[in-house]
Amino acid sequence: MKDFDSKLDRRTVLKGGAALAGAAAASSLPFGSAFAAGYPDRNIKVYVPTREGGGADRLLRSVTGVWKNHIGTNFEPSFFPGAAGRVGYEKYMGLAKDDMYEFLFGNMGPEVLNWVVKKPTFDLNDFQYFAQVDSDPGILFVSRRSKFKTVDDIIAEGKKRTLNVGVSRLAHPATLGALALAKHTGAKFNPIPLSGGKNTRAGVATGEMDLGALPSGGIVNRAKTFKVVLMFSHTNPLPGRSDNAPTMNAHFGTNMPSLIAGSRAFGIKKSAIAKHPDRFAKVEETLKKAFADPAFKEAYAKTKSPWEFVGLRSAAQAKEYADNIAKIGAEFKDLLAGKQT
Amino acid sequence: MEYDLAFFTEMLGRTLALWWVLIPSIFLGLVVGAIPGFSAANTIIILLPLTLALEPEIGLTFMVGLYASSRMGAGIPAILVNIPGTAGAAATPLDGYPMTKQGRGQQALSMSFVASITGGLFTTIIALITLPWLSQVAFYLHSVEMIVIMFFGISLIATIAAKDTLKGLIAGFFGLMIGFIGTDVVYETPRGTFGFLELYDKVPLIPALVGLFAISEAFAVIEKQSIVTERGKAAMQEPGWAQTFEGVRIAASKWWHITWNSLIGLVIGVVPGAGAAIASFVAYQQSKTYSKTPELYGTGHVEGLIAPESANNGVTSGTLVPLLVIGIPGGATAAIMLVVLQFHGVTVGPDLFITSPELAFGPFTAMAVTYALMILTVLPLARYMSHITVVSTIYMAPIIISFTLVGSFVPRAYLFDMNLALVFGVIGYVARKTGYHVAAILIGVILGPLMETFFLRAMKMSQGDIMVLFSSSIGNTLWVFLVISLALPYIMNRRNGKREKAAAHDPYG
Amino acid sequence: MADDAGAQEKKPVSIGSELIIPIAALAFTLYYFYTIWNAPWTAQVAAFIVGSVLILLVVLILIKSFRQLSRGDGEINFDNLIEPRSYIPKRLTLLGLTIAYIFVVPWLGFTITTFLFLSLAMLVLSDFTKKRLILSLSATLSLGGYLLFIVAFKTRFPAGPFENLMNGLF
Repeated sequence: MKDFDSKLDRRTVLKGGAALAGAAAASSLPFGSAFAAGYPDRNIKVYVPTREGGGADRLLRSVTGVWKNHIGTNFEPSFFPGAAGRVGYEKYMGLAKDDMYEFLFGNMGPEVLNWVVKKPTFDLNDFQYFAQVDSDPGILFVSRRSKFKTVDDIIAEGKKRTLNVGVSRLAHPATLGALALAKHTGAKFNPIPLSGGKNTRAGVATGEMDLGALPSGGIVNRAKTFKVVLMFSHTNPLPGRSDNAPTMNAHFGTNMPSLIAGSRAFGIKKSAIAKHPDRFAKVEETLKKAFADPAFKEAYAKTKSPWEFVGLRSAAQAKEYADNIAKIGAEFKDLLAGKQT
Repeated sequence: MEYDLAFFTEMLGRTLALWWVLIPSIFLGLVVGAIPGFSAANTIIILLPLTLALEPEIGLTFMVGLYASSRMGAGIPAILVNIPGTAGAAATPLDGYPMTKQGRGQQALSMSFVASITGGLFTTIIALITLPWLSQVAFYLHSVEMIVIMFFGISLIATIAAKDTLKGLIAGFFGLMIGFIGTDVVYETPRGTFGFLELYDKVPLIPALVGLFAISEAFAVIEKQSIVTERGKAAMQEPGWAQTFEGVRIAASKWWHITWNSLIGLVIGVVPGAGAAIASFVAYQQSKTYSKTPELYGTGHVEGLIAPESANNGVTSGTLVPLLVIGIPGGATAAIMLVVLQFHGVTVGPDLFITSPELAFGPFTAMAVTYALMILTVLPLARYMSHITVVSTIYMAPIIISFTLVGSFVPRAYLFDMNLALVFGVIGYVARKTGYHVAAILIGVILGPLMETFFLRAMKMSQGDIMVLFSSSIGNTLWVFLVISLALPYIMNRRNGKREKAAAHDPYG
Repeated sequence: MADDAGAQEKKPVSIGSELIIPIAALAFTLYYFYTIWNAPWTAQVAAFIVGSVLILLVVLILIKSFRQLSRGDGEINFDNLIEPRSYIPKRLTLLGLTIAYIFVVPWLGFTITTFLFLSLAMLVLSDFTKKRLILSLSATLSLGGYLLFIVAFKTRFPAGPFENLMNGLF
């Protein structure tokens, strides 16, 4: 309050003006001619299969904001929201050239599950993820106002009545976690797809849902509103920010694979890598440099998402993750497609 | 949350010191609001490099100014050329455009400005005072209650259909079916998409809006000299500010109407996921139901213009409430504001009012100041803007078409959407020429999918028990109100049965 | 908006054009039903309720039209859709130009296409008078649009020769 009082003077106005000028300067590009020769000599287009302003957009901005200095060109995000990522992938596979100037930046977990429910029009073998950027575990959470304080409260109540579980969508790793928990404990969960994390948080916060299942990112940074009660990953990367929530395997003695619910990754047409291995090498190398750059940690910190999630993983690791999710999805396929109530 | 008068006075002074941010944001907001396809949300996104670089308080003030003024800007082309810039302005041309045709464009603009400004200012102040209580609304209006609220809006189809019930209902139900295009929200089954992936996420609203209203009008209007009728042109000869003042006077005399409808907007705005389109249709329906002259709606009736305009500005203040109090944005623009705040490390939620009250209350004072500044900056423009309507259709029709095609492209950058706008233009043209009300189609397209979403959610939660619709006491109260508001026109009609129905339409009534 | 009606009370209703919307609605509803026939209940419930009512309404209007026809109150024609006939060529040209706009814009880019569309459409509507005014108006508007939409708002409109040239220059 004190410094808020003292700030009300002419300086506020002047500082604002300076900030405006600074912003103008910042929007012009800060790279020199070091990378001017050869690839890349123009902007790289990134297809994002979700909405502008969403989680993927924010993460992409913080990554490319630093990466552009290392690779020497600007990144142009193009947003193709629709059908839970389907539109973006179909557009990318249909429109993008394989010249290493067009990438896709998606959320592997839910988008891989898409193909389990309904196959795409393109051949999945023509596409691959080449760099996994973050890993955000799926969690179960409640509102701070809820009468549930722990996962045991939830299970006990779930044995008496059916609980409504707000989820982003059915074909989502966090939903699979909730379903697996219900199956294991005998509690009755009714997953309600609310079309996106934003609506899911609203549903849980306003008390319409008994609890929610989402990636942890949007929840741990709203610790005053929500409480994490269970993690579907093998370890809790954020004990301090999640009320030290237990993991499912530790608490219930299950043997589930780690359900990483949000795992943003860059993808590309395989033919682009085959055609331009030299360019691909440069992409991989500069991305590694960007991740090592302290500026990235700084930019990322501003999104308030936990740094613990960030970690560059290779193409092989990304593939392993995608295959894993596809396998669990296949187990629940009928439920995801509505063939079973 | 104990804050005294001194605190608010200081907040106000603080916001006024940011006038240099607000004035440009007001003009920018008016421009982007008036261009279909652009909105406060996507303008803020375009300007993210700027807003992110600004200090959070300045950035927030900028965004709020843009948000409030863009809402008002959207009403301008809706009134003058029948192009609602956003879904929130979709109810505005119902009476605004007929007024323009009668040569009362200037008056209509100033009326809508006054309704928007006072409605917005009033609800912002109410929101500020009642914040602790208002923030609870979202805890009581869930899917079931929203279904009933949507029915208020959808029942407008029947009201609009009054002249030719069968045709009106066909138009409305056709609109609803078109609105159901896209995947279902539970199992994501594609439906009625003709195989287009671009339709999986439902019919995009801007192409539908501009197609049905504007493109169809452009094709129809070429047989006339200008949008304004000959009689209207004569009326427009009256020079100067008189019409502006007349508009202000009329709007001021309807202060109770503005108050009531902006409150409808405020409450609907507080519910996450509801928004301006629902609010303005509900307000229009309510206004007409309780009016003494319901038959004048749609012919250029003052209250038919004031109701949606005050309601959609009420929504603007409403959407800030859940954003700041529980960290849940009430609409697209609020969601972008959240992104900017998070970028600056500001955690939104109840504790914001304790940790940084200047950020928590700032948006509300900024909004109040924006509305106050708009009285001075925007009202004088009505006189000049309205002249666009006497421009010959030789120029207007092609300009409207190219302008709206651009607008339908912008939100998603899909060329497909331009084709869609044309298809809706053709549907709208045929409907218009053969006596099917385009507004009825549009209400279906806008409200149909929202309604289905809430309905499926309620049904999924109750595991298929239809009685869930009558399971909440608030919901049941709303049902009773709905039945009353549907029955009332018939009761009134029978009571006034003797009165001449088609009384001569006094254009200044 | 509904001001186009009226004025022709005595004339028989032109049933052909008045049935376009109902027939289109019916066809679309049947197609929609076809796409959800084997879908989960969530995809069906709302559409089946609304669609059934719509089909019923269309049947009612068909019966009504049939009775109008047999009573001689209606005729099968498309008069109220195409009247006044003198404007048919202009209207069709405008429609054709609009379709052309959408198809050409990916190749010629925003600015050139908009200029061509505006000037051709205005020339046709004005019976090729006021050529100088129209050409300069179209040029101003399309350049203004370029500055506003592409330079200022960075809209991702397709780039054509003009946009590429400007990009190369600056």
